[in-house]
Amino acid sequence: MKTKIILALLTAGVLCAGQSALAHHPFAAEYDAEKPVTLTGTLSRMEWVNPHSWIYIDVKQPDGTVQKWTIESSGPGAMSRRGLKKTDFVAGMSLVVKGYAGRLKPAIAIGTVGGPNDGADKQ
Amino acid sequence: MPSILPALEWLEALAWATAIRESNWGYPIMETAHVASIVAFAGLVMVMDLRLVGLAFAQTPLTRIQRPLFRWQMAGFALSGVTGLLLFVVDPLRYYGNVFFRVKLVLLALAGFNALAFHLTIFRTVGRWDEDPLAPTTARLAGAVSLLFWSAIIVSGRLIASNWFD
Repeated sequence: MKTKIILALLTAGVLCAGQSALAHHPFAAEYDAEKPVTLTGTLSRMEWVNPHSWIYIDVKQPDGTVQKWTIESSGPGAMSRRGLKKTDFVAGMSLVVKGYAGRLKPAIAIGTVGGPNDGADKQ
Repeated sequence: MPSILPALEWLEALAWATAIRESNWGYPIMETAHVASIVAFAGLVMVMDLRLVGLAFAQTPLTRIQRPLFRWQMAGFALSGVTGLLLFVVDPLRYYGNVFFRVKLVLLALAGFNALAFHLTIFRTVGRWDEDPLAPTTARLAGAVSLLFWSAIIVSGRLIASNWFD
């Protein structure tokens, strides 16, 4: 019985750990888990700050217009663990962000960019 | 009236504030210390509040509970105050515009006023009612108000992290 409880807690812990980097505040209040987005754009600005970084990218639409997206992303600690540095983000660079769209305003999402350490712990 | 914004922009641009804002560990440690010290402070204050309103330790004289707790309450308050101030300095513009931060500041002032009024008035005569299981109405009211305010302060502090109105 005891082992089962410990196992259940461990499982819950592992499940939560995957989310924790972006779970500083209630995710569901601001973002929609049913609306995953993959955005490819040009970086206009990056704020490498606690508790969460902010990434601003210009995304070209099929009709040729540019949509300015605001992305809430991991804080400096989580970025560093994934092998990213503040200086990796240079205005004008091309960037792919994976995340979830916001509920409250258009062109806002929560998401991450790939880092060199991604998947390193799983090999 | 001169705007406070230039002062906040100056704070935000300070080298050490920027270093904490961009740190891997400094900010999370400070944030954790802020929460832990509030837990200690509010928890210990609520022990006294529960005695005041008559919901706990009714048979124990109030001062026997409060006097040994006082230094720990103050230690918790000092640490949460210092870490709270630092958290503000690191990101002053964001907090300034946050409605829950403003609510929290107002509640803090009210809670402080309640504590001050309690100590300056009814607590002065505690010798007369220290052992009464039921404290005087004014004292019970101060205890109830304190329970309410500190709970609301913690809730509003938690909500600062949600930027629904930004």
